[in-house]
Amino acid sequence: MFILNPQSGTPIYKQILEQVRRMVASGQLQPGAELPSVRELALKHAVNPMTISRAYGLLEAEGLLERNRGKPMTVAAQPRANAQLARRLEQIEPHLDHVVLAARQLQLSEAEVVKALRRKWGETDE
Amino acid sequence: MNSAHVVARSLGKSFSEKRVLDNLSFSVEPGDVVGVLGKNGAGKTTLLEMMLGFSPATAGQVTLFGHDSYRMPADVKTRVGFVPQQDELLNALTAGDQLRLIASFYPRWDAALVERLCTAWGVNLGARIRTMSVGERQKLSILLALGHKPQLLILDEPVASLDPIARRQFLEQIVEVAADGERSVVFSSHIVSDIERLANRIWILKEGRLYWQGDLDSLKESIVRVHLRGATPLPERIEIPNAVSVRRDGNHVVAVVRDWDDGAARDLERRTGMTPEVETLALEEIFLELHR
Repeated sequence: MFILNPQSGTPIYKQILEQVRRMVASGQLQPGAELPSVRELALKHAVNPMTISRAYGLLEAEGLLERNRGKPMTVAAQPRANAQLARRLEQIEPHLDHVVLAARQLQLSEAEVVKALRRKWGETDE
Repeated sequence: MNSAHVVARSLGKSFSEKRVLDNLSFSVEPGDVVGVLGKNGAGKTTLLEMMLGFSPATAGQVTLFGHDSYRMPADVKTRVGFVPQQDELLNALTAGDQLRLIASFYPRWDAALVERLCTAWGVNLGARIRTMSVGERQKLSILLALGHKPQLLILDEPVASLDPIARRQFLEQIVEVAADGERSVVFSSHIVSDIERLANRIWILKEGRLYWQGDLDSLKESIVRVHLRGATPLPERIEIPNAVSVRRDGNHVVAVVRDWDDGAARDLERRTGMTPEVETLALEEIFLELHR
């Protein structure tokens, strides 16, 4: 269910965080859905179990996952729509950082970039 | 009472005049999988052998389960498993005889586990050890170290001669040990990608010293490659804090930086007026950068 690349510069726990956040935000993971156990995932990908439990622990603290005694972790019931929106916006943040960085290097103004973005948006609507 | 499996304090080892290990302090906690990295001759094998008590420390000490490793009582030794770089199998025996011989030393020998792994790993118990390939011998050595379910497993280049399939099977066994939570593993390997999968902690040995030790995750997050690009050639002197190396090529400066975080990024942006582009690095890249 996850695409894990141990040889990436992004630590494995972060790869899991990002993927679960995205799947929950987009509804691919619905409340109540069960996650594979730490041991199962660690064996499947041949990675350290601790990095997976770290990710699960952080996702639990974020309120995205729920721990159930003796049973698999599940996706928690998701809070209000505006919290959902904030979470979805958070997902697009790194991409926006990228655009802003590239724009600065190309010495493009905010207005020029926004205009270009609007044009893009229109194109993909059609 | 410290629950650490291994504790070293200012550990040092010299052979006659040559200092091989210099002032190492570290610990191994239950559940840890420690990956030991270092160039040939950095002191990896000596370090692992010191942990096993093969020879006395010439400075400081290392303890296993609270006992000085050089004076380990017999019952503490049975809690440790070791796979040496050069196997210590007896050529005249068959694989099965060798297994039975080792098993006889350990009351807690897990015959079912060993039998299952022999089948899964394709170890032919009837084969005479002298006729076995290096890879087959390595598999057998690993089995011998796993059979008594040691609490602490120490492996020195355990997979150098294994094919990719056997290596993956070996990694899965290490995952099983790590998943237990009460056991620990210390292993050295030049196959950095294996360490990157399995280790939660990394020790980088350089010329007998522990050049870096810490979580793999923090290592990846704190050592990065930073790119600065300008429209015109950059000034001769750009000061980059915590830079391990800096290369410049006209409008482009590439620096490998330690202790990187958001604060460092803001600081660099303020100093240079440029937004740094950050490239995170695979463990192998980090290792190479630290040895440039």
